[in-house]
Amino acid sequence: MDTEDIEKLNGFLDKDVEIREKIKEQVNELDKKARTMVGILNRVHSTQSEALPPLLDSVRPVLLSCHDTISQLASIVPGNQFWRWKDMWTNSLRTAVFSAVMVEYLTKRDLVSLQGVSDTLGFKAEWADRVALPAEDYLHGVISLVNDLSRLAVNSVTLGDFEEPVKISIFVKDLFAGFSMLNLKNDVLRRRFDSLKYDIKKIEEVVYDVSLRKLTTSSKESKGTAGGDIEK
Amino acid sequence: MPTPIQHDRSVLLAHFESFRTEIDDYNDRRERLIKASRDITNLSKKVIFLLHRIALENDDTSYARAAKRGFAKLCEVQNIYAGLSHELAGDRYWRYQRQVSPGLQEYIEALSFAHYLQHGTLISFQTVQRSLSSPDGVPYFSLTVSDYLLGLSDLTGELMRFAISGLSSHKGGRAKATQVCAFVRACKADFEHYTPFVPDLRKKQAITSQSLEKIEDAAYTIVVRSSEYDLPPEILDDIVAQSISRFSDRSQKHARGFEDGLGEDDAQEGPC
Repeated sequence: MDTEDIEKLNGFLDKDVEIREKIKEQVNELDKKARTMVGILNRVHSTQSEALPPLLDSVRPVLLSCHDTISQLASIVPGNQFWRWKDMWTNSLRTAVFSAVMVEYLTKRDLVSLQGVSDTLGFKAEWADRVALPAEDYLHGVISLVNDLSRLAVNSVTLGDFEEPVKISIFVKDLFAGFSMLNLKNDVLRRRFDSLKYDIKKIEEVVYDVSLRKLTTSSKESKGTAGGDIEK
Repeated sequence: MPTPIQHDRSVLLAHFESFRTEIDDYNDRRERLIKASRDITNLSKKVIFLLHRIALENDDTSYARAAKRGFAKLCEVQNIYAGLSHELAGDRYWRYQRQVSPGLQEYIEALSFAHYLQHGTLISFQTVQRSLSSPDGVPYFSLTVSDYLLGLSDLTGELMRFAISGLSSHKGGRAKATQVCAFVRACKADFEHYTPFVPDLRKKQAITSQSLEKIEDAAYTIVVRSSEYDLPPEILDDIVAQSISRFSDRSQKHARGFEDGLGEDDAQEGPC
């Protein structure tokens, strides 16, 4: 190798090392924020529905604070190299996505779109070749939501809220129908999708338990009429 | 009263519909690139065989002739890359790097071998990038340092074969083997510097060391035999040929032992 070439390669490699270190710093930040949010959201399982709004309000500022980290990342990653570096933050990002979809679900009972999450976390379209929210990461976040909702179905009953499991059940079934439309190859997303059926089964069991014992309003109302919902 | 549903099922499903398109698009492109990469690997391997075959022909111009034919044949690979450039445009190269790299490294191995036969030097990063650019100099994609180094690392294995088979079948073989030995040694030293930066290079360095050792053994034979007696070249050739046949028995044993240990990566090992 001639010296000129050696110097050139060294230049490239030194730059990569520098970029990696800077990204790592930001990823640590993002990771901290993601953990904070998951920590707060974990309390959902022990919070009465009336007390939920303030809890969710305490997550929102953390979600918004991801803007800084994302824009820092956008300034560090060189153009067209998004896919080169994204693995470094994928895990933290998926957790952040989970937090965003969870907050939205508990607020509006709806699935926030990819674009919605992307806006919440502060991604900008012009950064698409440096930082972006790919469908795969979004879908991972949504699957985490289903995983957590199956717990919530159980825990809400424990807290005396018998309607929650029914709502969750309808929502999750539609999500499952959505996931079934995708042609997934044999990867992590596919494996996690395959495991969704256990979450659905768990939720259905809860719904079954509460309806059988006529604990939900709909089944209470039909108490007088012969049979009720269950026989249908 | 039915439980109120807040979300709109059809909107939700429409989202997933767009994900399906996106995921299908990704998977299809990935498949196309895997296929192309396999074709490139195949073509490049053929070029390497071609280079060995012609370079071993026993005359003065065989190296240059081999290089010329090799470069011509590598144009086919370059044309494949030209056709792929839109699949690898923008940030796509990095997204599909894992699919592209194997073929690319094989191509660099073939190209650098042809370059060595022609010039006796290591091909530069710039030259490889230029070979992967359109006639007016626009790169089909940006070459990475890691593919460049890993491709070159495979070259040392080819040079080992080239040096050792040249010993017995080419009249300038002994002098060439000594040159190759020095060259591979220099390569190994240069690459060592990069091992912390390029994953996989360390493993390839181990193989380079093995190749180097084989060439060194051969170079040793040359020196020892020719110093003991003042022999005419034809007789020396005979002696070296005998030594080679003994040597290759031993080196096969070596190669087997290595496979038991580290396993894979023997694109460049194999019988000399």
